[in-house]
Amino acid sequence: MSESAPRPAEQFADFAQQGEVAQLGMFVFIATEVLFFGGLVFTYYIYRHLYGAEFAIAGRDAKLMLGAINAAILLTSSLTMVLAIEAAAADRQRAILRWLALTVALGFLFLGVKGWEYVTDYRDHVVPAVNFLMKPGYGGPAELFWVFYFIATGIHAIHLTIGIGAVLAMMRFARRGRFTPVYYAPLEVVGLYWSFVDCVWLFLFPALYLLGRS
Amino acid sequence: MTTLTADLPASYLTKEQTIASWLLTTDHKRIALLYFASITAFFFIGGFAATLIRLHLVNPAGTLLQPDMYNRMFTMHGIVMVWFFLIPSIPNTLGNFLVPLMIGAKDLAFPRINLASWYVFNLAGLFVLYFLFMGGVDTGWTFYTPLSTHYANGYVVAAAVAVFINGFSSIMTGLNFVVTIHRMRAPGMVWMRLPLFIWAIYATSAVMLLATPVLAMTLFLVGVERTAGVGIFDPALGGDPLLFQHMFWFYSHPAVYIMILPAMGVVSELIACFARKPIFGYAGMTYALMAIAVIGFFVWGHHMFTAGISIYSAVVFSLMSFVVAVPSAIKTFNWTVTLHKGRITFDAPMLYALGFVGLFTIGGVTGLIVATVALDIHLQDTYFVVAHFHYIMVGGTVSAYFGGLHYWWPKITGRLYSEMLARFAALLTFLGFNLTFFPQFILGYLGMPRRYYAYPPEWQVWHVLSSAGASILAVAYVLPLFYLGWSLFRGERAGANPWRATGLEWRTSSPPPAHNFARAPLVTSAPYAYNPEDGSAIAQDGAHV
Amino acid sequence: MSAARYLVAWAVMLLLLGLSIWSAFLRIGPWQPVAQFGIAVTQAAIVFIVFMRLPGRPSLKWVFAGAGFFWLIFLYGISMADYLTRSGLPKG
Repeated sequence: MSESAPRPAEQFADFAQQGEVAQLGMFVFIATEVLFFGGLVFTYYIYRHLYGAEFAIAGRDAKLMLGAINAAILLTSSLTMVLAIEAAAADRQRAILRWLALTVALGFLFLGVKGWEYVTDYRDHVVPAVNFLMKPGYGGPAELFWVFYFIATGIHAIHLTIGIGAVLAMMRFARRGRFTPVYYAPLEVVGLYWSFVDCVWLFLFPALYLLGRS
Repeated sequence: MTTLTADLPASYLTKEQTIASWLLTTDHKRIALLYFASITAFFFIGGFAATLIRLHLVNPAGTLLQPDMYNRMFTMHGIVMVWFFLIPSIPNTLGNFLVPLMIGAKDLAFPRINLASWYVFNLAGLFVLYFLFMGGVDTGWTFYTPLSTHYANGYVVAAAVAVFINGFSSIMTGLNFVVTIHRMRAPGMVWMRLPLFIWAIYATSAVMLLATPVLAMTLFLVGVERTAGVGIFDPALGGDPLLFQHMFWFYSHPAVYIMILPAMGVVSELIACFARKPIFGYAGMTYALMAIAVIGFFVWGHHMFTAGISIYSAVVFSLMSFVVAVPSAIKTFNWTVTLHKGRITFDAPMLYALGFVGLFTIGGVTGLIVATVALDIHLQDTYFVVAHFHYIMVGGTVSAYFGGLHYWWPKITGRLYSEMLARFAALLTFLGFNLTFFPQFILGYLGMPRRYYAYPPEWQVWHVLSSAGASILAVAYVLPLFYLGWSLFRGERAGANPWRATGLEWRTSSPPPAHNFARAPLVTSAPYAYNPEDGSAIAQDGAHV
Repeated sequence: MSAARYLVAWAVMLLLLGLSIWSAFLRIGPWQPVAQFGIAVTQAAIVFIVFMRLPGRPSLKWVFAGAGFFWLIFLYGISMADYLTRSGLPKG
C-alpha cells in the first residue's frame, strides 16, 4: 500500500517531464544500438559485396522456415507489448499483466526456436571453430558467412534475453499497481527497447536468410 | 574528511560524510569528484608509462627496456591516456559538476545512470589493471589486425574488454548530458543563451553516442576472431585488415574530437572571464562546435593513407580533413579577437587558456600538414604525427583541463589556491611541453618512425631534449597536486563568485548546496555579459557581479 | 479504438514478411537486395511509428530515432568510396 501520492523524482518538475525525459533517454540509447548492430551489418555487407557467390551458397543452408517463424513471433510480441502499454493508459491493471505475460512467453518461444535452430546448425556442421565442415560447393569465405550468422543472431539473442528480464521486472511492478494513467513511463521505455529488438530481426532476417536464394 | 570541511557552511560536501553516502551518491557534484579521483589515478599510470618511454629513448641503443616491454609501454600509455584519462577528463569531472549548475537544474536527467557509469568505468579500469599486471599488450592502442588477432602475444582480449566496457560508461555519460541539456534548462535559458561550455559538452556527447557503438562492435569482432580463430579480419582466411581500420577509425577519429571539444568549451569560459569581454561571435562559435562534431565523422581515412585504401577515397578524406580545420580556425580567430581590447588579467586559468590557444594552433596547423596526402606519405607513422597529436591532446586538452580545474576549484571546494604557485605551474607546463614535443616534429621530419625502441645515434640530441622537457612537464603536472591539495586544508575561504564571472554556477554558494540553488534561477541575460571598459559584468540571472 | 490500429499494423507486418520471403525467390538479380532492404525499411518504419508511438510528445523523439540510421549512411557510404574504387583486390 502506498502511503502518500507518488511524486516525480526530485530533479523533475512533474510526471510529464519525467516521462518525456525517460522516453528521450531510451531513444538515444536505441540510436547507439542502431550503430552497434549497424556496424556489424556493415561488416557483413562488405564481405557479401566481396564474396557474393560464396555467401549465397552458404546462406542457402540457413533455416529459412525457422527464421521466418521467429520473425512472426517477434512481430506478434511487439503487438502484445504495445497493448500492455495501452492497458496501462486505460488503467486496466489485469490486462497489463496478461499482455506482458504473453510478451514474455513469445520471447521465450523465440529463444526456444533459436535454440532448436542452433542444434540443427550443429548437426549440419556449420558452426565455425567448433565443427565446421566445408560443404560441396562452398568456397573459402563460406565459413565467414556462418561466423556472421552466429555473431549476429547470438548478440540479438542476448539483447532479447535482457528484454525478457526487463519485461519480467515490469510485471513485478505492475502486480504492485505501479502503473497508472498518471505515470507508466517505465513500461513505455521497456516497450521501446522491446520493439527495437524486434526491429533488429527485421534487418537480420533478410540479410541472413533471404539473400542469395534466387 | 571533517578537517576539509571544518569551516565551510552546509553544502554538498558536508551534507553526509559516510563512505556509503559517497559511494552511493546520486549527486552529480559528488560523482564528479569520484570521477576526478579515478581519472587522476589513471593519469599517473599513463604518465608512468610515458616516463619510462622517455627515459628509455635517451639512449639510441635502447637498453633500458627490452623491445617487447617497450611495445607494451607505449600500448599501455595510449590505452590508459586515451580512454581512461583524456576522454573522461573534462566531461566526467567538470562536465558532471557544472552542467546542471550552468543550466540552472537540480541534477542531471538520470542521476542513477550517472553513478552507474562511474562503476562501469572502474570495472573497465579493473580489466586494465588486470592486463597490466599480467604482462601487458604490445599491439599499440590501435589494435591493428592481424597483429592483434593472430600474432600478438599479450592480453589483447582483456584490453579489448576493458575498452569495450569503458565505452558503456561513455555512452551513459553522453546520453545523460544530451537529454539533460535538451530538457532541463531553467526558464529563460534558451539555446542561444547557453554557455559555450554547455554547447561543447552537447557536441561532445553527440559524438560519444554516435561513434562509441561502432568501436564496441569492432573490438567485439577482434575478441571473437582472437578467441575462436575465425578470419573476420585475417587475409589468410578471406578477411580484410583494412575493414578493421575503417571501423576502428570511424570511432577513433571522432574520439579525438571528444577529447578536444570540451577543452574548447572551457577555453571560451576562461577567455571571456579574464578578458572581461563577451566571446566574439558567439553564434559562430556554437556553429563551429557542431560543425567540428559532424565533419569530424567524415575524415577517418586520413589515418589510412598509406594502408592501402584507394587513391580516390584518400582524396576525399584529405579534402574533408582540410574542411574540418575551418571551424577550428574560426574558433581560434574568435578567441584571439575576444582578447583584443579586453581588460586582461593573467590569472592561472587564463595562462592555461592562452597556452591552449598557442599550442592548439601549432597542433592544428601540423594536422593540415599530415592531412596532405603527398606529405603524409613521408610523415605517416613518424614522430611528426606523434608530436602533432600530443600538441592537440596534451598542449590542448590537458592545458584546458588544468585551466578549468583551477578556475572552478573555488566553486567545487570552497577554497582558494595559491595564485603564485599556480601561475608558475602554468608557465612551467607551457615551457616543458614545448621542449618535450617540438623536437619530435624535427625527428619526424628527419624520418624517425614512431613505436621504435632504438634509433640512429645522430638523432640522439632531439630525444635528449624531448626527455629533458618531459621531466620539466612532469614537475609542472605534479605541482598542482601539492598546492591544490594544500588549499583544501589551509586555503582561504572562497566566496560565491571570486572571479566575478557571469555563469549561473557562480550565483550559488561555494561549494554549492546539495540541491544546487536555493531558488530556481530565471535567466534573463546572454552569457558573457562582461564590460571591458570597467570590468563589470551581469550574471545570466540579471544580477550585477 | 487504439487496439485496432495496432492489429492492422501487425497484419500489414505479417503480409510484408510474406512478401519478403516470396520475393526472395524471384530472379531479379541486383534488385534483390534493394527489394529486401526496402521491405525491411518499411517494416522498421511501421515499428517505429506505430508500435514505438513516435508521433506524440516530445517531438524530439523523431530526431533521436532517426539519428542512428542516418549516421550509418556515413559509415557505409564513405567506406564504400574506398571499396568501390579499389583495384586488384585479391580474392580469399
